[in-house]
Amino acid sequence: MTDIGIPVEESAAFIAHEQELVHETGHASSLGLSNTKLAFWLFLGSECLLFGALISTYLLSVGNFVGQVVAGNPRVLATMPAEVMNEIVEKGSVNSFFDIPFTSASSFILLMSSLTMVLAHKAVSEGNYRGTKIWLSATALLGSTFISGQVYEFTVFYREGLHYDGNLFGSAFYTLTGFHGAHVTVGILMLVALLIMAFKGKLQADRAETVEIIGLYWHFVDVVWVLIFTVVYLIP
Amino acid sequence: MAHTAHDTDTHHGHDHAAHPTEKQYWMVFVLLVALTAVEVAWSFLGAEGPALVIPLLVMMTVKFFLVAGAFMHLYFDLKILNGRLFTWAFFGAILLAGAVYAAVIASFRFNI
Repeated sequence: MTDIGIPVEESAAFIAHEQELVHETGHASSLGLSNTKLAFWLFLGSECLLFGALISTYLLSVGNFVGQVVAGNPRVLATMPAEVMNEIVEKGSVNSFFDIPFTSASSFILLMSSLTMVLAHKAVSEGNYRGTKIWLSATALLGSTFISGQVYEFTVFYREGLHYDGNLFGSAFYTLTGFHGAHVTVGILMLVALLIMAFKGKLQADRAETVEIIGLYWHFVDVVWVLIFTVVYLIP
Repeated sequence: MAHTAHDTDTHHGHDHAAHPTEKQYWMVFVLLVALTAVEVAWSFLGAEGPALVIPLLVMMTVKFFLVAGAFMHLYFDLKILNGRLFTWAFFGAILLAGAVYAAVIASFRFNI
């Protein structure tokens, strides 16, 4: 008998079985999910805190900014062209600044990329390697299109007088959407790495969890955009 | 109580609940796009105050749970963890984070 009352033979069989499973799947967890996946969820939890803080800062900063503009604070009014400020005073919000149809198209692209990502995971799980390459490429392409749209949007806003160091609205807006854009860019790099593995034949069904974890990151970025789109762009 | 090799099978990644089919993924996507379209249309209808904000927040929450539940497999993975301490810790942490977030925002809103 072992110290904890398990017969030695049974304990040895248990350990051997554990080792075999670890060897087969690269993980073992008493929680029912792989440790890698749980660790990644923990990381995503910390990312929630980051974006929660950024979204809160944006909401508080914009409220402060609009209040100052409506109150006619000359130092704040001088940070953007008069016609833009007049529109903010008239509508009592910064939303007239945004191009909603364009951002809606960006949202559609990001949602579509989430679909192609799950299809890539499904394809690799089923051993459909051609499908894996197609769906991973589509995801990376859609992500790149989203980033191109964001660069275009930033350029337009800059030309209209919204600068990062101009006022609270500019700082908070560029920081929030910029951080999100940086996350999408990191996601694209990870997708490219997966694609290289796939083309070298190193992305087989036994690595499906790797695709799933990168997929988790990608969907998280999508979920954050779902929040940003509604809270920043649609709600005045 | 002795552990047997057979008992431990259910403690590993092998027994994942079945993930959605390709058709179900497409259905979730169509639903997400439809909700986004309704959100945008709603914001252009001219509603103001709570009539504008509450439906938008509801639709945003539904979209959030659709992506997290179906695409991130959270719904299926939590089925595996059902009844375990981790599930309670998971939902407890979400609840706590939401409460702290609401309290901080409220402290600014009401100048507490």
